[in-house]
Amino acid sequence: MEPIITIRHLSKQYTGKTVLNDINLDIYPGQVIGYIGPNGAGKSTTVKILTGVIQDFQGDITVAGKDLRKDVLEIKKIIGYVPELAELYDLLTPREYLTFVGKLYHLPDNVIEERSKRMLDSFGMLDSLDKRMDSFSKGMKQKILLSSSLLHNPSIVIFDEPLSGLDVNAVIMVKELLQVMKQEGKTIVYCSHVMDVVEKVSDRIVLIDKGQIVANATINELKKDDADTLEQIFARLTSTGDQGQRADEFASAFNNKTI
Amino acid sequence: MNKLFLRLVMLPSGLWQGMGADIEQLKAVLTVKLKMDDRKPLGFGKQRAQKKERKAGSFFSVFISFVMGCLYIMPLALFQDNVFALWAYYTTFVFILSFMLITDFSNVLFDPKDKFTLLHRPVNDSTLLLSRILHVFIYLLRIVLPMCLSGWIFVGLSMGWQYALLFPIPLLLMVFMVLFIVNGFYLLLLKFASPGRFKEIINAFQIVFSIIIFAMSYLMPRVLNHTMIDHLDLHSFGWVRYMPSYWLAACYSWFGATTVLAGTKMIGLLAIVVPLVCLWITVKYLSPQFAVRIGAVDAFESGEGTAKAKSGSSSRLYLKLAKLFNRTSAGQAGFVLTWLQTSRSRTFNMRVYPTFAYVPIYFVYLMTLSKQPLKEVWATIATGNKFLVLLYMSAFVMAQAINYVTSSDQYKAAWIYYASPVEKPGKVMDGAFKAVWVKYFLPYFCLISIFILSVWGPGKILDIILAMVNVTLFIATIIRFSFRAFPFSLMEQISNSGTKILKTFITLIIPTGLGFGHYMAIVFHLGWLKILFFILSSILLWLIWDSYSNTSWEDLKREET
Repeated sequence: MEPIITIRHLSKQYTGKTVLNDINLDIYPGQVIGYIGPNGAGKSTTVKILTGVIQDFQGDITVAGKDLRKDVLEIKKIIGYVPELAELYDLLTPREYLTFVGKLYHLPDNVIEERSKRMLDSFGMLDSLDKRMDSFSKGMKQKILLSSSLLHNPSIVIFDEPLSGLDVNAVIMVKELLQVMKQEGKTIVYCSHVMDVVEKVSDRIVLIDKGQIVANATINELKKDDADTLEQIFARLTSTGDQGQRADEFASAFNNKTI
Repeated sequence: MNKLFLRLVMLPSGLWQGMGADIEQLKAVLTVKLKMDDRKPLGFGKQRAQKKERKAGSFFSVFISFVMGCLYIMPLALFQDNVFALWAYYTTFVFILSFMLITDFSNVLFDPKDKFTLLHRPVNDSTLLLSRILHVFIYLLRIVLPMCLSGWIFVGLSMGWQYALLFPIPLLLMVFMVLFIVNGFYLLLLKFASPGRFKEIINAFQIVFSIIIFAMSYLMPRVLNHTMIDHLDLHSFGWVRYMPSYWLAACYSWFGATTVLAGTKMIGLLAIVVPLVCLWITVKYLSPQFAVRIGAVDAFESGEGTAKAKSGSSSRLYLKLAKLFNRTSAGQAGFVLTWLQTSRSRTFNMRVYPTFAYVPIYFVYLMTLSKQPLKEVWATIATGNKFLVLLYMSAFVMAQAINYVTSSDQYKAAWIYYASPVEKPGKVMDGAFKAVWVKYFLPYFCLISIFILSVWGPGKILDIILAMVNVTLFIATIIRFSFRAFPFSLMEQISNSGTKILKTFITLIIPTGLGFGHYMAIVFHLGWLKILFFILSSILLWLIWDSYSNTSWEDLKREET
């Protein structure tokens, strides 16, 4: 099977600092990739490059057989992106915002209308369709963001912390949605710090640290013994010291005083 | 500079403490706010140009402030009586500063970020309120200092060094006075208006007040013209004693500045006492429950109280218009987004709606330049060509609106353009421009046209059409060469940066030439020339329009760098 995403020798510098250093990765259709790493490892930069937000990089990327540099628009059409921060024009209502996004993807009005209603209904937000989003909680905005990213029915979906701010019911619903999308053959790149969710939903884990891939395998391959969890694997591969000792040091900063 | 300002405002720490503020917290909050002011991020994806743009922009704004300050020293030269001259100077200054405060102050007083950083911390009301007031005070000082530089030099040269030494003190008191006038109004409103109505009232008030100030600053000097000042009997101006700007000027009488009005030395004391009393009243009576009330305004905005957006058929007119004016889906998206955002953004309305009034005010100002009685001016109006001024001034409304369409507090939401398959950014920008044109310019221009047709007669129809094309061309030229950006994708500093203003200024030459050509065609009664100009302008408009709506990602990238 041909990979749907191929990344070769991807590097990126910001004002002299190397953020990504020679990343090589193949992602196959229908796979759920857990893309994890510590803060500042380069996850968001990779995602922004893949989604065409950052176009200034070294290396080669092909998505669905198309060169990201040459066919960025065609690639954007098949990607759905849920960014980490729920930044949206919140003076608009969900209906208006989704219509705006749908237009950017050239969707017909009736399709936008129908999908918007069904998506919001599944999130239990249909009665908020015509309310301005500046009155929404973070979780509600996140639901709109999820809907707007999936509105055009993309074949590749990139989630950057998609569960941020969601309530328990919505988290369960999104996890189920991931399974449904996987069954439909969609390729999913899932970035998160919530290791147990990554462990449950991912077919393969790609661990990035200091701009380099330090692990790329299934969860079973990564486990040294049955007792290992993804959290422990993560700590083993990325940590520079004993976290327990650090916690002790942190607590001792108070010197047993209450103020 | 920030450290200096911080030290200055923390000098009366004892006073702030006496008012219930926690000095340590107050200093910490102010330090952070000033730092944040300096580090405000720029537009989406604009990191590279940051340092250069900011440096050029801030230098330009300091320069503009200095030039504006040079204009304000005129009253100092007009009056023989030093105290009256200073009164006129401070009056002008108080008006201008009030104007600035009213447009900007509510954003600082009700900084939404405080909801997450301060409101849940153990900070008392007095500290919270004082931190905001002093923050605005420093913000004002930054603007006032370059603005008053020319006045300071003038006072030193014309009145003597001792007056120059005194100059900063009334200036500081003036800033305080202005601050409390505006602040007092806001706090009273916060105390008595319901949270839901609060921001609406403020918005309406801001618009009306800025129009009044603009009208006064233009039309008052017409009323008090040179002839009047030359033959002015200052004894009959006793009422100025009740104006805070006179109290400030009166401080100079302590150093020997003479004036015809009696009791001026005592009046000067009011300049010191009144701000202190205002401060005391503010903190004592208006600050309690300040945080609670701000919280109530926030809670209202984030709670059940927010009204549903209109969803009736009439409110969907914009969707029909979007389709009527745009063939592409991206163009429709830009049109609809701009239409809705401009309707709901308080900042945008605040900045654009007053310009609707500025045009007729400025027109009246120009009409009265001749010093003829108003009745005579009106009687002879139809014989002249002043309608042309009115037609071309409508460009001001459009220019203001289009300028603010690119900037927004929510500029980060512009990521969506970069992640979507937008083939040509120009199509979205084109839709945004059309929305502003249809929503703001067209109805306004029609109103002006109706006025012109009723006063000057239907013979002016060709002039109206030509002016409409020329004004659209004028704006299209500006946005093509200066403001190429996605709607609501930039922070304000970028969209108003000095280099862009300069670029715009140069770009104005072409349309001004067109307007002048139009004028010439009228003066020499050359009807055929108007038709020729109309054809030429239309071709030029089409070319520029085509170039703008075909703006590519590469073009946009070049603009950003």
